[in-house]
Amino acid sequence: MAALPRRIIKETQRLMQEPVPGISAVPDDSNARYFHVIVTGPEDSPFEGGLFKLELFLPEDYPMSAPKVRFITKIYHPNIDRLGRICLDILKDKWSPALQIRTVLLSIQALLSAPNPDDPLANDVAELWKVNESEAIRNAKEWTRRYAMDN
Amino acid sequence: MEQFEQLLTCAICLDRYRNPKLLPCQHSFCMEPCLEGLVDYVRRQVKCPECRAEHRIPYQGVQGFPTNVTLQRFLELHIEITGELPDPTSGQVMERCNVCSEKAYCSFCSHCDKKICEECKGAHMEILRREITRINNQIRRGIHRLQDTLSLVEKNAQGIQTNCLSVGEEVEEIYRRLNKALKDRTDYLRTEIGKYLGTELRSLNTLKDNLELEISNILSNCDLADKHMAEGNDMWDDCELMDTKEIFLKTVEFIRNFEYENPDYNRKVRLVLAHDPNQLVLHVAGFGDLNIANSHLNTGSHLTPSPGLMRSKSDHRLAAQFKHNQEGYGERGYGDQDEPLLGGRKFGERKKEPTSTSDRYGDRYGRGGNDYGDDYDGETRPTRSRYSRYRRHQAGDNDSDQEQPRNVKFDHKKEDRERVIDTEDVARGPLSGITRLADSPRVMKKLQDNESGKKKEKEAPAPPPAAPQPKQPAPKRPPPPPATRQVSEDDEIARIKKQNKASSSTTETAAETRPAAERTTLADSGDRHSAQRKTPAPEAVSSTEETDESVSSLQQTQRKTAASKTAAAATRRASDAGHKKSARSASSDSSSDASTGSSSAIRGTGAPFTTEEVKQKYLSRGSVDNTPDNRTRLSSTGSNKDAKPFQSRFLNKSSPAPPPAKDDEETESSSEEETDETESEEESVKKPETKEMAKSDIGPLLARSANARDNSAETDRKNSRDSYSSRNKYASPREESPKYTRTRPVPKEEEPRYNYTSRFLNKSKSSAAIAPPAAEEDDHTRDEDKYPTGRSRYMALKERRQRLARSRSNQHFGDEDDNDEPVSPTTSNPSAYLASRGYGSASSSSHDLARSRSTHALKSRDNSPDRPGTEKDGAALSSWARYLKNKYGNRSGAKDKDSAGATSLTPSSSSSATARRLSLGLPLRSSTELASSDDDSKNVKGSPTTPTAATAQAAAGIAVAAAGTSPKSQYLQKAQQLFELGSRGSEAGCFTWPRGVAVGPDNSIVVADSSNHRVQVFDNNGRFLKEFGQYGNGEGEFDCLAGVAVNRIGQYIIADRYNHRIQVFDPSGTFLRSFGSQGTSDGRFNYPWGITTDALGFIYVCDKENHRVQVFQSDGTFVGKFGSMGSKEGQLEHPHYIAVSNTNRVVVSDSNNHRIQIFDVNGKVITSFGTEGSEEGQFKFPRGVAVDDQGYICVADSGNNRIQIFQPDGTFLKAFGSWGLGKGEFKGLEGVAMTQNGHILVCDRENHRIQVF
Repeated sequence: MAALPRRIIKETQRLMQEPVPGISAVPDDSNARYFHVIVTGPEDSPFEGGLFKLELFLPEDYPMSAPKVRFITKIYHPNIDRLGRICLDILKDKWSPALQIRTVLLSIQALLSAPNPDDPLANDVAELWKVNESEAIRNAKEWTRRYAMDN
Repeated sequence: MEQFEQLLTCAICLDRYRNPKLLPCQHSFCMEPCLEGLVDYVRRQVKCPECRAEHRIPYQGVQGFPTNVTLQRFLELHIEITGELPDPTSGQVMERCNVCSEKAYCSFCSHCDKKICEECKGAHMEILRREITRINNQIRRGIHRLQDTLSLVEKNAQGIQTNCLSVGEEVEEIYRRLNKALKDRTDYLRTEIGKYLGTELRSLNTLKDNLELEISNILSNCDLADKHMAEGNDMWDDCELMDTKEIFLKTVEFIRNFEYENPDYNRKVRLVLAHDPNQLVLHVAGFGDLNIANSHLNTGSHLTPSPGLMRSKSDHRLAAQFKHNQEGYGERGYGDQDEPLLGGRKFGERKKEPTSTSDRYGDRYGRGGNDYGDDYDGETRPTRSRYSRYRRHQAGDNDSDQEQPRNVKFDHKKEDRERVIDTEDVARGPLSGITRLADSPRVMKKLQDNESGKKKEKEAPAPPPAAPQPKQPAPKRPPPPPATRQVSEDDEIARIKKQNKASSSTTETAAETRPAAERTTLADSGDRHSAQRKTPAPEAVSSTEETDESVSSLQQTQRKTAASKTAAAATRRASDAGHKKSARSASSDSSSDASTGSSSAIRGTGAPFTTEEVKQKYLSRGSVDNTPDNRTRLSSTGSNKDAKPFQSRFLNKSSPAPPPAKDDEETESSSEEETDETESEEESVKKPETKEMAKSDIGPLLARSANARDNSAETDRKNSRDSYSSRNKYASPREESPKYTRTRPVPKEEEPRYNYTSRFLNKSKSSAAIAPPAAEEDDHTRDEDKYPTGRSRYMALKERRQRLARSRSNQHFGDEDDNDEPVSPTTSNPSAYLASRGYGSASSSSHDLARSRSTHALKSRDNSPDRPGTEKDGAALSSWARYLKNKYGNRSGAKDKDSAGATSLTPSSSSSATARRLSLGLPLRSSTELASSDDDSKNVKGSPTTPTAATAQAAAGIAVAAAGTSPKSQYLQKAQQLFELGSRGSEAGCFTWPRGVAVGPDNSIVVADSSNHRVQVFDNNGRFLKEFGQYGNGEGEFDCLAGVAVNRIGQYIIADRYNHRIQVFDPSGTFLRSFGSQGTSDGRFNYPWGITTDALGFIYVCDKENHRVQVFQSDGTFVGKFGSMGSKEGQLEHPHYIAVSNTNRVVVSDSNNHRIQIFDVNGKVITSFGTEGSEEGQFKFPRGVAVDDQGYICVADSGNNRIQIFQPDGTFLKAFGSWGLGKGEFKGLEGVAMTQNGHILVCDRENHRIQVF
């Protein structure tokens, strides 16, 4: 494995030194490009109180390509599918090398606050979100309670 | 401050800006690797990471963006303020790492002698570290050998002590015993003598007393008698007298009878010795010998040196030899025995980086010279010495210009030497010459830095306190007397001279013999060492400082004398220098008996040295013995002394650089001049051609071709019918303007005849009662009268337009056609319109206008180069003529055919055609060709369904048979691989995914080595000739090039696929020009793939992702395009490769439509064949196509991994090949090419080879 680019080292250092509130990202012991991420559910969202585990992987050509991020904890969200894949533009075509791990994670946190059912990844969830938002939110809370708490 | 720093941080690498480039959106990023990494090569733009604005990338890449100078100033300011060390990579440019090929900041790696990136360097250092650890372990495992030896030596010391003690005691004992015996005997003998002396003396004394008594008695008697007897006194009675007389008589008798036996009392006693006293003394003196076991002496040589620790020979006696060897170096340069160990460098000192080849050359050269000076160099490092010889040879070959750098180099060498002298003053193993790293100032500093760094990171590394150098008492040593220095410099000179002479030992100067003489003294010292073997103390000890010191002062003076003496001796012995040399070499040989050998050798030379001389010398030698360390230490004592060699080293580095660099420049510039010349030549050759082309309005013609295509079907027959009349017609304007007529080239007049005849041959259409094609113009004019009458003007017009549409760049004809034909109101091209109107007086509605136009047209004609003149000019023009012929011939052929039996054959016409060919400078074609070209021409003209196609083919067959050559049968036999080129790799002659292949005019094989981003050229036997190009997007650089083509003048035309451009190189591989960029508009590309060129130099490019073919002039001017995405006729989907026959049929592999389409030069589909499948004549993603000069088509059927050969009309002929990696098997086909001798070159992509069939 090639040596770690300075940028990744710097980002990792900064993540450790000045962690983003509500987000923790720790590099894996064996692979410095793989991060164990925990995002707290934002306040005033159905995910409040939940601790969501994610995995984040920096591909070989990072920062020229976006990091790969996936929810490990199950989450009821119109833009996150059952496998935990996230529909977020900055992880796809809107990626920019000026973005960083922290900005990505903040964006994900923001996505939790503001689900976008118009650009869904999990169609059933999005459907429900559009048709019956309160029930969807109830579901989300339920899922958060069930999967994102107590562990 | 933090924010300030933030501003100086690149948002991409989160580092300080390095060469910040300002995007049009005012955001800045490092050029490399940040901005470089952002480039979207496909769309050739860069998207700002900050604001997502998209910017076009300048032509020369991201470096074309302006540098953010303000930011750079800020960076400098920041550095000034904070004192932050500048980024070490700031001034560097990214290069491709020689190991991993990644772009990075590279630095020189001592491990592999390459410029490599930090990562690889780290890896290499890791390897080195591991190796060192491993070797260290070996050493640790092996050190016990030394320790064992040490204990053995200790034991031996003890043994010898006890041994000597006991022997001494023995000697003492014998001494005592001998002493006692001697003493006892002596005592005994003494007493014996005394005793004897006593008795003898006593008897003698008694005798003496008695004699004295007798004498006194007798004398008294005598006196008495004298006194009394004579007086006669009667004192005495008779008795008394008688008695007296008796007594006297008795006395007389006694005296008479008394005789003393007089023995030799001097020699009475004699010491009789049992042995010869001398012998005895000898015996006693040598009463015992010390028998010192000789076997013991030689133990050292019996110990086999361990392979791991070759140099550390365990016997102390070898130390002497080592010393002696050391002198071997030292003699030449201050005893720098370190040279073999670290190549004369200081520990940890960087080898001179060969930043430029010229520098390396200089260095190497200097080094080579040094090596050459070393006596064993010739044997052990032949390459280098050869190199130096080579260099010298070169220098000798060249003129005086070269001479100077050579001299400079020698100077430089001297300095270099000085540097070498200044090796480290460190404790050095006397046996192995291994320095103690811990004593190296560098290492000490490192360790100290490390420690202090551990203690306090911030604290600046304090200067090492008082340089703890316990092992170096030397610094206070007095400087060496100049004499010694002088000698060594003489050595230097001698060596240089020797070098100059290139090892010729035949003529020896005094200067040279001196070292030789010294070498003998050296041998003497070896002799001494052997003599000193008896001393139990190892000689090596003598190299320690004490002895050194004790001797040095004395020796230094002695050495002076010795030097002069040896010099004298040297001249005396100049004659047998060779002899000496052998002696020396014997002595330098480090076998155990070297010293004895050398001593004998010395004797062999018959050196007329007195023993004193020898002694003298060996003393001086002894001093030399010890001085190397001494001297090196001396030379590096003072810091100022240190500085000097340092400087000189610097000079070394820089001084040799300029001359070679200049050289390079010179050659470069000269080559540039050359290429310029050739280029200009080419250009001059091309100029008329291109000019004409430029004038020829090809673009509009092509555009009109679409129009023409529509009409062509219906008007085909009529057109061709008409054409004859039109021909006659154009004769009439000629009559009107005689000027025009005159400019008309004669050959052109013959051209129709040529086609005429061949057509007749092919078709066997005779019986025409019309005048032969060679008919005079009057015939035409006569015809003119006959023909047009029955023909509608409209039809003629239509025909004219159609012809126009098909007419190519031939202005001449274009003009003619336009001129003598009525104007078409629908003509899209105004100039053509006007031109035609100008001459189309008969039908023109406005005569006046036509008149004025006609003059204009004439003028424009005048502007264009005079064609008849140029046509006769040169080879390039013959292609032009040929082109004309093809074009003109096609039409006239068609016309001839349809003028229904108007042709009559004269048997001589074919020969006259050949004659004409010859006169045009065209290669003489076989009748086959003629036939097939004609056949082609018909195909060009007709639709695929034309019933004449069959006859044409038949005609071709006949022609083939007639010619005696049968390409058909030749191709039918194909299947067997003749040979193959290359294998996977990046070296010369190897490929990584070869794609395009082409055959040059000289039958060279040109391969686009795609993933090596280069073009390789081989001769027709597959021998590597040259390569050019490398990865990149600059001039002459490629990014996964695909197609290659070679035009008639040997220029290489390359489809630089991922750079979306075409590059042109001259025959030497020098970049000429490039054109195109990514895009969909005219002249832009989207992954251009196959490329080809026709006889006129037009460049046809398969613009793969744009699903079209684009045509360019050889200078890159866009000419036309055809094809669009789709599967209909004339449409293309991912066209990959393209080929143009010499009859201007454009063969395109319409890959995703699984077919081959054949177009005419104007983009009209002539035919297409193939469908998806794996039957004969079917394709799966066909790729490479090639056409031979007889029109046979070879297709690389990529998906089926086979080659298919088709007859010119597209009928299947042969298929061979299958998937696999054996001979004649393929894995992924790319380009194909056909040579003039009928070989087929196939690019076997995934087998990374070219196969030839």
